[in-house]
Amino acid sequence: MTQPLFDIAVAAASFFAGMVGAMIGLGGGIIITPLLVLGFGIDMRYAMGAALCSVIATSSGAAAAYLRDGISNMQIGMFLCIATTIGAVCGAMLAVVLDQSLLAIIFGAALLVTVALSLGKRSEALVEPDDSDPLAKSLRLPGTFPSDRGPVRYGVASVVPGFLIMWVAGVLSGLLGIGSGAFKVVAMDQIMRIPFKVTTATSNFMIGVTAAASVGIYLKKGYLDPALVAPVALGVLAGAFAGARLLTVVPVKLLRGIFLVAVTVIAVQMIARGMGISIG
Amino acid sequence: MNRLTALLAKVMLAGTLVSAAIIAAGLIWYLSAHLGTPPGDHIFAGEPKYYESPVEMARHALALDQIGHRRSLVMIGVFLLLLNPLIRVALASVGYLLGGDRLYAAISAVVFAVLLVSFFW
Repeated sequence: MTQPLFDIAVAAASFFAGMVGAMIGLGGGIIITPLLVLGFGIDMRYAMGAALCSVIATSSGAAAAYLRDGISNMQIGMFLCIATTIGAVCGAMLAVVLDQSLLAIIFGAALLVTVALSLGKRSEALVEPDDSDPLAKSLRLPGTFPSDRGPVRYGVASVVPGFLIMWVAGVLSGLLGIGSGAFKVVAMDQIMRIPFKVTTATSNFMIGVTAAASVGIYLKKGYLDPALVAPVALGVLAGAFAGARLLTVVPVKLLRGIFLVAVTVIAVQMIARGMGISIG
Repeated sequence: MNRLTALLAKVMLAGTLVSAAIIAAGLIWYLSAHLGTPPGDHIFAGEPKYYESPVEMARHALALDQIGHRRSLVMIGVFLLLLNPLIRVALASVGYLLGGDRLYAAISAVVFAVLLVSFFW
């Protein structure tokens, strides 16, 4: 196989990963890395570098749309970015010293947890703005989001635990070259009790900033091969765009089920690869 | 604050599209010179040192006689893509400062500092 054919195949796979990611609400990054490693035999380090770049591309595009709609909470996003960026630097420094097979196992485990999280129920118990964590009040984190019945005010709980979990989400992002959006959403939704709509939008804003904190380290360690980053980033970006459009016309529930099963199988294969067992 | 968010949204979208266009152009240009080369990502060898610095990257992209100048153009597009979040945070910090919000100007500045350290350390 020659480089052009290889890149076309990689771009097609990335398009698919981006589309699936957009449909089931996972990022493209956590799906494309196993595809590159298991399907194309690419070294995990190059795969993680390319995936992280694609994460930055899609999050910038999606976050732009959310910001325009006024759903994102910039204060919450920026404040929590302190935790995620520091975490991401720690994670990336860990990634460059850890053994590749161990990374594959951690990756598979994180993918399984991500699937479990996306199946879990959202927290519906919101906090009244006046009952917010005092720290949230002094940081002016509570806000409003637009709805059909006018702006809805919401409060923010448990700032410190949320901040700490965000640090962990950042570590995972830098360690595995993923956006770790699912983990960010859990911290904001389940712990800080922020409305789901706001959570998703704000997490998109944060994902790109978090990824940027580890990508500089990946760059210096030579993880970014332009010939691989290009087809992956462009493919995932186009796929995510197409997936967001398709959401309104396809049977989402059925597809979601099929893809989640597929992602679970991929996660198990990643773990097996890390342990040196070859299946399928 | 609303004007800042609107500006941020525009910058983010434009930044993504411009860098994607440069990456696409660079990739096609690069591949046209490597029609018969086998792909080499199966074994990790690390990338050349000149990708570490944007100045070196630009020098390689412009020096037509040098090996890797076509790849360097792709890398410039990738680098612009990676700069996007940095610009986003820097703009937010300036915007908060101009709006008289010193707390959030400081918070954005901390995030920007972490990003700068990770990139240029």
